[in-house]
Amino acid sequence: MLKRHFREFSVLGVLLSVLALLGVFAPDFFAPQPLLSRLTAAAPKLVVACGIAMVIISRQIDISVGSLFAVCSVVCGLVAAAKMPLPLAIASAIAAGAIGGALNGALVAGLRLPSIVVTLATMVTLREGLRLAQQGVFIDLPDGLQWIGLPMIGGQYLVCGIALTVLAAMAAVMRHLAIGRAVYAVGSDAEAARLAGIRPRLITFVVFVLMGALTGLAAVMNVVQSPQVDPNTGRMLELEAIAAAVVGGVAVSGGRGNLGGVLVGFLLLACITPALTYIGVKPYWDKAIQGAVILLAVVADGLRNRKNGR
Amino acid sequence: MDLSPKTRMLLRHETVLLAVLLAELIFFGVAGRNFGTPDNLANIVRHSVEIGLLALVMMPVVLAGGIDLSVGSTVGLCAVLFGKLWRDGGLPWEVAAVATLGIGATAGGVNALLITALRLPPLIVTLGTYSLFRGLAEAITHGTDAFTRFPPSFLFLGTGRIAGIPAQAWIFMLVAAAMWLLVHRTTFGRSWRAIGFAPEGARYAGLPVGRRLAFAHMLAGIVAALAAITYTARFGTAKADAGTGYELAAITAVVLGGTSIFGGIGSVHGTLLGVAAIAVLGNGLSRVPATMSSAGELSGLLTGVLLVLALAGGAVPKWFAERRSRKARAPVPP
Amino acid sequence: MFRSFALFLCLGVALLTGCSRSGPDTGAAPSGGAPAGKRLTIAFMPKSKGNGYFVSCKQGADQAAKDLGAELIFDGPVSPDPAKQNEIIENWITLGVDVIAVACENKDGISTALKRAKDKGIKIVTFDSDAEPAARDFFVNQATPEGIGNALMDEAARLCGGTGEFAIITASLTAQNMIEWQKFIEARRMAKHPGMKMVALRPCDDLKDKAQAEATTLLGAYPDLKLLMNICSPAVPGAAEAVKQAGKAGKVKVIGLGLPNENRRYLKDGTTDTVILWKTVDLGYLTVQAAAALAKGELKAGATSFKGGKLGEFRIVGDNILLGEPFKFTKENIDQFDF
Repeated sequence: MLKRHFREFSVLGVLLSVLALLGVFAPDFFAPQPLLSRLTAAAPKLVVACGIAMVIISRQIDISVGSLFAVCSVVCGLVAAAKMPLPLAIASAIAAGAIGGALNGALVAGLRLPSIVVTLATMVTLREGLRLAQQGVFIDLPDGLQWIGLPMIGGQYLVCGIALTVLAAMAAVMRHLAIGRAVYAVGSDAEAARLAGIRPRLITFVVFVLMGALTGLAAVMNVVQSPQVDPNTGRMLELEAIAAAVVGGVAVSGGRGNLGGVLVGFLLLACITPALTYIGVKPYWDKAIQGAVILLAVVADGLRNRKNGR
Repeated sequence: MDLSPKTRMLLRHETVLLAVLLAELIFFGVAGRNFGTPDNLANIVRHSVEIGLLALVMMPVVLAGGIDLSVGSTVGLCAVLFGKLWRDGGLPWEVAAVATLGIGATAGGVNALLITALRLPPLIVTLGTYSLFRGLAEAITHGTDAFTRFPPSFLFLGTGRIAGIPAQAWIFMLVAAAMWLLVHRTTFGRSWRAIGFAPEGARYAGLPVGRRLAFAHMLAGIVAALAAITYTARFGTAKADAGTGYELAAITAVVLGGTSIFGGIGSVHGTLLGVAAIAVLGNGLSRVPATMSSAGELSGLLTGVLLVLALAGGAVPKWFAERRSRKARAPVPP
Repeated sequence: MFRSFALFLCLGVALLTGCSRSGPDTGAAPSGGAPAGKRLTIAFMPKSKGNGYFVSCKQGADQAAKDLGAELIFDGPVSPDPAKQNEIIENWITLGVDVIAVACENKDGISTALKRAKDKGIKIVTFDSDAEPAARDFFVNQATPEGIGNALMDEAARLCGGTGEFAIITASLTAQNMIEWQKFIEARRMAKHPGMKMVALRPCDDLKDKAQAEATTLLGAYPDLKLLMNICSPAVPGAAEAVKQAGKAGKVKVIGLGLPNENRRYLKDGTTDTVILWKTVDLGYLTVQAAAALAKGELKAGATSFKGGKLGEFRIVGDNILLGEPFKFTKENIDQFDF
């Protein structure tokens, strides 16, 4: 198993080394309450990363998730602020996400347009449309929405729990259910999949709708963490999610990767920025280090490819 | 005239885009205030030079089936290093400029090395260098340092005119002409097209795929450095955030211009039309009274819509052709 | 094919230049001040659209334009590209506006464009963040960077009893005005409050959620932290929420530059102690009033006071029209404001 999942284990190794270093130089990093708070703040992004991993495995890409995240957050906020019941606000956000995903899916699967360009267009259109509509003004949320009315600790565990449940559920589906295997098949070789009886375009459409719904869910998970919605939220989310997936071993060429790797890749990238703060590194090194980590993770892969003669 | 189906499709996309551009020009000429004046047209050109340069050099990369998300960050890195060489290194700006082109080539070389030698996917490599290069620019300046007070002889590049035409427009036209020749009249261009169309096939046919891709990426780095120089000359300041967001604008222009993101199809004149269409749209909206106060948002929105329409427009005839061919292939009942 | 394309484009351009409508060619003669009877065109540019602070400035600006019967164009960068303000200014030059009012993102960079506008006879008024004095006629000064820096540092020292660790959350490392404020905060600290120690500076990219995450991390990394100073307006509520969730409300003080509406709940429950700002709606109103007066020739260099419409008289020092001192929003006065 070590050999088959070499990539995922090597990233896990890097993650553990980083954590070990922190344990020595900045043990405060592991103080329970702050750690839980940081994990809770990052949990919505993990959900998006799971969705993106699925999209990439099916040999597509979605760079509109950040803008869609903002739209869903605003939808949730506006519905809640209009004194509608809480479940309706949550459902609207997820529905808005699914609709956005369906739009992407229709253009990619239906009209056979390249996904990078379609989602580039939707990203820009959604972001600018939202800016026109909302003008950057924060939305005040009613009191019952934060942590869905639970006490904070309960809410934090709930949010983290949802993220892990989504991860586990998707891992199970991708590995054991036929529809999950179909995603891998379509990502590896769509034509062969079609000849085997799978319908690639339907799978692609479903993948995008699911991605949208997950984005909506992530937006809700984020909205409940504070009493106001910032319509500028979600900026750069797509790059963070893609980086997490790719560092975690999901291949951009499709058909390869698993969610365990995504979790490891996500944790590695998510702990870099706080780690730098705990160690006391100046903030202008942030981007350089992030870029270096991404490249190192990918280079390790490439060196292995070269060794195997590919 | 017996055109191959590929040529026919190519012609169609660019003609439509040209029609769109002319429609924009006419519409804004009529509905916009002071749109058609030489000053405004000069502005449109000046403001689109950097993105135009990046689009021109992104086009061969995409044609060969790759992508480069790091060009905007390369602009930032080169701008900052140019400023540093001139101010702290004491070099005359001409020398610093040439050195900056070398830095751009190195940046492109990093991408090239990782993509060709290690066979890593371009999307991920350039995603990493997108962060890395911007990060290096921020680290060098500590985020806060800005290089200003360049000599007027340098600023002329960005603000002056030669024979009535903005100075950087001449640079742009030179690069455009060079790229057109490179892509459409040399073996380099033909190699890129072949590699984009069928990478393995190109390899078996004996094309030096690695070298050609490396060349495309290094060229991208050099032209990004050039864009950094014209940007700094126009703006008068070099900071680490120069060129933010330019890579997406360049990709949008390239795809709008008819280059397929999968590779193998595309033209330099299409890319130029794409750049022009987006630039005119952005400028025109800021002159129509009804849209003046939301020009920024609307231009982004409409560009996204335009992009989808352009792609869908290209996809529809393909869809019809496929239906026809599928019907033809359908087995005839005995 | 290439030849016919080139021909098309040349024809198109020639067609346009021929049929350019409305207005004289602004390249030739300077357009001077507005002739009597013609509706004034005032161009108003924030640092970025989609920022609550500038939305409130726009409220005041719109009101002033209505009172004056002038046309107000509101446009600004939607992308983080620092050169965007220059491009918009250059577009406005050829559009033929009468006066430009701008909050400058980048002091040196924008001055090149503004000087060109001045040469064409367009009046320039800056507000919120100044350009180089030679590049504009007047600056509507709501508070100098020095005044802001001093106010923040003094308030921080007051709340911490003169000694303690504090951290600053800024928007981005390259934002020019934030860099200015940090310089003055540091200068004030060294001069008057050496017992205060700045332990960290983190960017939040102008995002409330990111500010909340950064604040959470700072609270954990620096257990002796006494105060969070947020100079980026979305960061103030973000940091306050982080302090609240960490259970440190009251123990770690929160101050910053922010909008009353966004911070009302935290001021009221005591998490945030002070929010420093100024009356942004008045800033927008006064700026447009000054712009109009400048364009009509009523406001001239050397004036010592200016009547800003219904807001009354304002002092002018040199070429700075002073809005007043930075205003401290506290639990007591927060309900009087709505922006």
